[in-house]
Amino acid sequence: MAPTLPSGDQSSDQDNWDNGRLARKRQLLTEIVLRNRLTALVVDGDTTCRVLEQLLLRSYGVQTQGVDNGRDAVTLIASGVKFNLIIIDMILPILNGLEKATRQIRDMGVHCKMLGVTACSGESERQAFLAAGVDVFIEKPLDPEHLVPILRELDGQ
Amino acid sequence: MDFVNLLQRKFIDYSSSLHREGIVDDQFTQLRKLEDENSPHFVMEVASLFFEDCEKLINNMAIALEQKQGVDFKQIDECIHQLKGSSSSIGAMRVKNACIAFRSFSDGQNREGCLRCLQQLSHEYSLLKNKLQTLFRVSVASRCLYVCLVIFCRGNEHAEPFPDVLVFQLEKEIVAAGGSIPRVH
Repeated sequence: MAPTLPSGDQSSDQDNWDNGRLARKRQLLTEIVLRNRLTALVVDGDTTCRVLEQLLLRSYGVQTQGVDNGRDAVTLIASGVKFNLIIIDMILPILNGLEKATRQIRDMGVHCKMLGVTACSGESERQAFLAAGVDVFIEKPLDPEHLVPILRELDGQ
Repeated sequence: MDFVNLLQRKFIDYSSSLHREGIVDDQFTQLRKLEDENSPHFVMEVASLFFEDCEKLINNMAIALEQKQGVDFKQIDECIHQLKGSSSSIGAMRVKNACIAFRSFSDGQNREGCLRCLQQLSHEYSLLKNKLQTLFRVSVASRCLYVCLVIFCRGNEHAEPFPDVLVFQLEKEIVAAGGSIPRVH
């Protein structure tokens, strides 16, 4: 969320200083140079979300593939393709992201990092998604402040 | 170059107004930062995808709410969920907020409330589409004007030269956006 200035026509010097520090902190959080080649699978039934999430990952140098339903995700992984990271939505066409796709992927012995990125925001949904096997629950949108620390971890930084 | 600067200033002012009015939020700004020389119009292209999906979902919800034999609130819920996700991903803040309000009436299976929310959602979507299309037009116009000036200056031996690489890139962008490059003979 962008820093907001207090109401009034003129911001104080202190406000400008605080906003500048916050902006710089956000910039540092989102800067990353990957040392290793990372791969990611994005599983999202919505085209806009899938395209944007893949683009964000690619902007950091992550090689990505995208599928628009749970069944294709399970089939792809079952074929032996390996990923460092899987980003999966909770509600998916054909094979649901929560009960079916995530559990099946984990049941296949896949231990890579899985991010549940979803429009759902309830605590019960969060708990259910974590129980199904995702490592991190993120309410959409997927943003650099959530993604970068995870990429750093995967890159061994 | 004053005209280009003026147009670019208009673009910045218009873009700021979209944030002030809550039409878009910081997520939209982050997406624009991802644009580079390889994908200079990707936000416009993704916005087009979003508009298509949004219209389809709004239409589906309208049809579902008109069913005489009973409203399929599960279908409504899935549409709202999808639209909430995509609108938040592109930074369409007011559309996202309209989805959140809509969800509460859908959860309560309140048909009248859903109809009111659908109307509000349609309004917010139309506003967003109109504003973003204007923003993209101003963006393309300023680039086009810049290239026109470059081409004009090339015909004028007293003008300062522009780097060929930059001109070529701008021409590519204009053609990709559906424009044409005026030729000065």
